[in-house]
Amino acid sequence: MSNNKAFAADASRKERIKEWVSRPGGFGIITGSLMFAAITLVGFIYPLVGPYAADEFVGESLEGPSLSHPMGLDQLGRDVMTRVFSAVPADIGIAFLGVTIPLTIGTVVGILLGISKNKYVVSTVSSLIDGINAFPLLIIAIAMVTFLGPGLFNVVIILTLMSWARYARIARTKAVVVLQQNYIEATKLMGYSKRRVISKHVAPNVSSESLAYALSDFILVIIIVSGLSFLGFAARPPMPEWGSMIADGRTFLGQAWWLTVFPGLAICWSAISLSFIVEGLSRRDRGNS
Amino acid sequence: MSNALVQIDSLCIDVKVTRTRRLTIVNSATFDVHPGQLLGLIGESGSGKTMLCRSLVGTLHRRGAYINSGSLTFNGIDLIKATPKEWRDIRGKEIGYIPQSALAGPNPVMTIGAQMAEAIQLGEKMDKSVVRKRAIELLEIVQIRRPEIVLKQYPYELSGGMKQRVMIACAIAREPKLIVADEPTTGLDVTVQAEIMQLLKQIRKDLNTAIILVSHDLPLINEVCDDIVIMHAGSTVEKIPSANIERTRHPYTEALYKSRIDLVEPRGKLITIKGQPPTVGDWPTGCRFAGRCDYAKPGCSADVEIPSIKIGPNHLTSCIRQAEIWGK
Amino acid sequence: MNRNVFLRKLGGRLLRTISISFWVMVISYSLMRLSPGDPAEARLGAGADPEAIIKLRETLGLNENAFVAFVDYFTGVLRGDLGVSLANDVEVLEIIKRTFPLTLTYIVLSVFFAFIISIPIGTIIGWSNKASAVYVFRGITSIIIATPNFFIAMVGILLFSVKYNWAPLFGYVSDFPGNLKYLWLPITVNTLILVSIISRVLQSSVVDTRAEEFVETGIIRGVSRPRFFWFYILKPSLAPTVVLLSYMMGTMLGATVILETIFSLPGIGRELVGAVLANDYPVVQGILLLFGVITVFLSFIGDLLAYALDRRVKL
Repeated sequence: MSNNKAFAADASRKERIKEWVSRPGGFGIITGSLMFAAITLVGFIYPLVGPYAADEFVGESLEGPSLSHPMGLDQLGRDVMTRVFSAVPADIGIAFLGVTIPLTIGTVVGILLGISKNKYVVSTVSSLIDGINAFPLLIIAIAMVTFLGPGLFNVVIILTLMSWARYARIARTKAVVVLQQNYIEATKLMGYSKRRVISKHVAPNVSSESLAYALSDFILVIIIVSGLSFLGFAARPPMPEWGSMIADGRTFLGQAWWLTVFPGLAICWSAISLSFIVEGLSRRDRGNS
Repeated sequence: MSNALVQIDSLCIDVKVTRTRRLTIVNSATFDVHPGQLLGLIGESGSGKTMLCRSLVGTLHRRGAYINSGSLTFNGIDLIKATPKEWRDIRGKEIGYIPQSALAGPNPVMTIGAQMAEAIQLGEKMDKSVVRKRAIELLEIVQIRRPEIVLKQYPYELSGGMKQRVMIACAIAREPKLIVADEPTTGLDVTVQAEIMQLLKQIRKDLNTAIILVSHDLPLINEVCDDIVIMHAGSTVEKIPSANIERTRHPYTEALYKSRIDLVEPRGKLITIKGQPPTVGDWPTGCRFAGRCDYAKPGCSADVEIPSIKIGPNHLTSCIRQAEIWGK
Repeated sequence: MNRNVFLRKLGGRLLRTISISFWVMVISYSLMRLSPGDPAEARLGAGADPEAIIKLRETLGLNENAFVAFVDYFTGVLRGDLGVSLANDVEVLEIIKRTFPLTLTYIVLSVFFAFIISIPIGTIIGWSNKASAVYVFRGITSIIIATPNFFIAMVGILLFSVKYNWAPLFGYVSDFPGNLKYLWLPITVNTLILVSIISRVLQSSVVDTRAEEFVETGIIRGVSRPRFFWFYILKPSLAPTVVLLSYMMGTMLGATVILETIFSLPGIGRELVGAVLANDYPVVQGILLLFGVITVFLSFIGDLLAYALDRRVKL
């Protein structure tokens, strides 16, 4: 069977790649990754090489899409396309921080909880974690804005404060499961130090699960960040950001549909490309296509 | 033989893997079952025995499988061409089915009573009190104590052995002429296994039901069944009365017999069959056991048709070289 | 599981739910204390009268020890006193009573319609398992799920309010049936998203059920079609859907904030946004508490329902 060739030690790089792609889900992962890479790259490069600046007034207000302005102009005469792409660092970048920081903190706390023998600490912290997780993320993020104030930077803080609990829960559950496995018993008999057990067995298993969740969470956070900006709680004008652009465009919905549609499509593109990756990975796990 | 209950001749079952690819699961199965006979069906995983069972209850289409060629007759009715109406009259009423014990068994979201009612009524309308009486009667036959309580329980409240007894009770509800039991004791405790086997033998005696007992456990089949059909790589390779198992005329049966764990002397060697069964669909030409056979000669793998040689009144084998190996 | 074990597990779960609710209360109350600046000052503005600021601090309980203040608040909540709005002196509880029913109405309606639509879609596609249908189905649903709800709402408005005047852009009339005119578009948007999520999970669950052995026996027993559909296809597959749904209710409550803002519906979501903009702490706290407790109890009820459907579920 042709697949077996890829396992041979002397399989060429090309054959190995081909085999990896042909496994279930490969298509989704590749498409999604390419799509996401595309928008991220364009987002970081275009503002540097594009003809206009994000806050430059280049023409008549509310001009429709044309050859020189493929996405039209907004109510202040700024080029929508430039603004859409300039928003990438805000939307995707902030979302990235809003995932990676809670991921790290939460996973560490979760592993510590999983290891801990102190029943009181574990049950109290677990209840706290469940308590934090009880709130819908958007709601508590909005509530936090009341107390911490608006702004993109604050959003990162808010997300961190609220999201770490979800990662902690996943990490803890997985850590407990791993520690109950038989091979952990074996490591104890072999005299592994506690630190070694954690780094070699607990951490890798837990992090693979946390990372998988982080990818799905990334989608959620992008939508939440733009949602918060839409409501006026995160990015503030004149900073280009998809959610606030959509909010601005609302007033002109009847006259200038391009003000809302293009930023919205950008959000969709990002979220959909990521969800392709997630779907591809889950198909791979389940073993069917 | 014309008085056979079930006649299977050169049956070929294929499976649709993708829109274009087909896999042959059962290549050529031939054997008969007589009324009241306890027939054992032995084979390793991938030998096709489960597919054969499904063809007898008409559920092949669910797995994308279909009968490609050969004949399959039950009580004179051609099962391959049977209409859905004919199947409705046969399934459950004439042919009963006991599924593999390891794979769940009863429907987990229904009470035992509800499921037994289904098995008793088989889609017909019956008086509730009659059904309940019959259900309790059946549970008593399979030796379940306190049947009135069990009727109200859910499967997860029962042990593996009890669940299997319930499945048996459902299978015999309409006193079918044939019961197909697909590995009914796999995964159960040895003591429970013995009880279930005893139960099946009793049912055969009381109801004169023919039973096809599928398993991979030769000693068990040998002890319980009248005759044994051995399958390998999708074909029936030998049919032999249990009593004569030592006088087998097929290398595979011999190897299976010799590798019995209970025959091993303390500190003796464990005899195994070398190699693996060929991958489904990747059948070699000629005799499919040749690659693992100790007696194989080049001629065995030639592209010849595998014969069905009659040795005795109830003994068929398909070893090409049987005469040379064991004499006339 | 016999009666006693079940009741014990139920009690344990209920207790856990209550203790989590307690933490929910702690968290929603303590958020105010996390403010870097002075909440009273933030509310009244930097140049406000210092007397007024002190008075507000008193009202908000900021001058007391945090623990004492919380106990005060806690006992208040148990009595039904969630505080008073800083903006208009209306009791928070009254505000909730006034705005929550609307939100609840369209959420419940959306879920109801979503279920009715998802069950046939999910089961048919899951049961037939035709590769092409599954591919298209999962493709379309994942696109809908990945699209933010406010974008779908905006597109909906563009089409149905701007282009075709089938739905009004804003305003609301609370009497039935006048309010249907204002509610149909938000409900449709919500339902669309819910259908994508629910039918997906159901489809996947039906595929798993289909492969089970007991389905075989159901076919052999010649069970009638409607009975087969419920007991052998639907009931064994519903459990994950119900659990998911109870979890989703929380997220949906969150989504109402945005939907109500876009459609200008006077529900609790819009009230929250207003309270945040006005730094009306008691209202924010009260609504937050409500949402948290509802989510926790919904997940409890969801697990209970799933258990009722399929005893294999762990309580």
